[in-house]
Amino acid sequence: MRKLALVLGKDLRQLRRGPGLLLALVVYPLLVALIVAAALQSDERRPAIAVVNLDGSGRTVEVAGERFSVEDYLRRLGDEVTVRELGAGAADRALRDGRVSAVLTIPDGFIADLQSSVRRPALTLDTGARDPIEGAAIRRRLEAAVFRINQRLAQEYVDQVLRLVDLVLDGGRVSVFGLSGEALGLKRSLVLVERMQRELRSAGEGALADRLDRLVTFINLTSANLGLARPAAEAIRSPIELREGEVATGREPLSAFGFAGALLVSLGLAGALLAAAALSSERDDNAMVRLRRGLVSPAALVGAKVLSAAIACAAVGAALLGGVALLTSLTVGRWAWWVLALVLAGLAFGAFGVLVGAIARDTRTALLAALMAALPLLALAMLPDGGVAGALAALVPFGPAFHLFQSLLADPELTGSVGWGMAHLAALAAVFGGAAAVAVGRRPAA
Amino acid sequence: MPALDGVDLDLSPGESVALLGPNGAGKTTLLGILAGADRASEGEVRAAPGRVGWVPQRPAVYGRLTARENLRLFAALEGRADPDRAAEDLIARADLGDVADRRADRLSTGTVQRLNLAVALAGEPAALLLDEPTATLSPEQRVRLWAWLGELRADRGLALIFSTQSVHEATRHADRLVVLAGGRVAFSGGVEELLAGAGEAEGDDDAAERAFLRLVEGR
Repeated sequence: MRKLALVLGKDLRQLRRGPGLLLALVVYPLLVALIVAAALQSDERRPAIAVVNLDGSGRTVEVAGERFSVEDYLRRLGDEVTVRELGAGAADRALRDGRVSAVLTIPDGFIADLQSSVRRPALTLDTGARDPIEGAAIRRRLEAAVFRINQRLAQEYVDQVLRLVDLVLDGGRVSVFGLSGEALGLKRSLVLVERMQRELRSAGEGALADRLDRLVTFINLTSANLGLARPAAEAIRSPIELREGEVATGREPLSAFGFAGALLVSLGLAGALLAAAALSSERDDNAMVRLRRGLVSPAALVGAKVLSAAIACAAVGAALLGGVALLTSLTVGRWAWWVLALVLAGLAFGAFGVLVGAIARDTRTALLAALMAALPLLALAMLPDGGVAGALAALVPFGPAFHLFQSLLADPELTGSVGWGMAHLAALAAVFGGAAAVAVGRRPAA
Repeated sequence: MPALDGVDLDLSPGESVALLGPNGAGKTTLLGILAGADRASEGEVRAAPGRVGWVPQRPAVYGRLTARENLRLFAALEGRADPDRAAEDLIARADLGDVADRRADRLSTGTVQRLNLAVALAGEPAALLLDEPTATLSPEQRVRLWAWLGELRADRGLALIFSTQSVHEATRHADRLVVLAGGRVAFSGGVEELLAGAGEAEGDDDAAERAFLRLVEGR
């Protein structure tokens, strides 16, 4: 253990003195991680759309108490997508060039149709065939935007109708076509009619009072039916109500997936490249001819390299997690578990890299070989479970590490899978590290 | 075809043995096996690796560590009780005081070779194995190195086995010459025996060279 510690100390000192190498081995994986995170979260990007506004009226219309103009509509669309107002030709070219993902055309007379309350205004959406996935995503976003605006307008329509119902029932001030007056309302009408009946009966005009019974019945029936109008209108306005709540441990699965992928790529590359370079640099310095003379056993040599990779991975991983916890909405907790997971992943990535370094002749070859081996395996690890890809990913540290990171980020409850994931990583670290020690022992020193 | 075949070599305390031979004769392989850096498919080496110091032809030191750090590290790996003190002692003996805190990859070739030799001494060996120790050195650096090796032999009774391409260097610094050719020992003995066997007269500077060539080409 003393010799392992001596070699480890030497490695960390060398690493500190090679800022170029350190930069390449840490910054490069971080950059790749950023790209991976951006790619995995592309569905969360705000797409750009071109809007061709053919309604040159510039009018503002009040629909059911809601003031509405094309500009209002575009402002609301801007909550969903990045809007660029273009002419028809420019919009078409932008779509073909891929500068926008879709073209939304607002027809001539859009506001007038909306104002008519008779004709339904129609919007036209053209998406590019270049990126059908993004096109579908934009269609969903605009459908959602149109739905929300429709829902808001419908709500205003219903509210206005209900205000009229209330006016018919309860009476009150009414203003129509510039004329205003006091509406009596059914309830007060009933009071007046019933009072009239009593007065007629007192004056011996019972027959006349009886004739008013039909009017009383009409008022009662109408009032009762209009009383049902409010719940009926509420049901029409929103047939299905979605009650939204937030659970205390709620997370964002897509962000968790993206970040787990970024963490995997960053640590996987850093650990594997660092360990491969650390071992192969012993050959570059020609130090292996001394160490192999019994000064340091292959197991201790491999152990030192694997440990240095694990320390680097834990440091980089902790920095990434801290940054994400501070700067994003993604919840990061379970720090004790994370420390364990980062160290185990670092050990396994390091053991993988050391095996490559033990086989390669020099540092340059080792780095290239480690990169070429790691990249496809990292991609495999992020594919959905099952099949040959999943089985292959499980044979190297990248698959179990990715699942472990995802579980720690997104699983509401930590189940046995986390324990298994950690055991899996530990086993792979032992297997790859053992193979590397055998390779170091068998290869010529020079 | 084996790199070495039937090689039998012994070394007495304080003795200096030169390994001579053309390229590919097996000199480096033999030294590597004696040093414990390479394994022989057959045969045995009767010396603990710790008792032998190894000076490979290409310096085996860490370029990004300073001379002092290299010496301290290898002294610790060799199991020296006080690596710091051992390193300071080696720095003084190798005359590395002025460059002790400079990185090894920024030292001159001659200085690195001295560091390479000092590292080999970190384990306090009884014998030193040197693979063409002067191959990359200037004449001045060669003289300085051999002077130091002479001091080590005289002061500590250190035995040497060194390989070289220079017959002149071998005859000047070795008590015994071992000529390897095709992986076998073609000659083992003193300079006088080499000259006598080849029918060369002593006193001629080139006689040993001619005797060596005759020996190697005659096989």
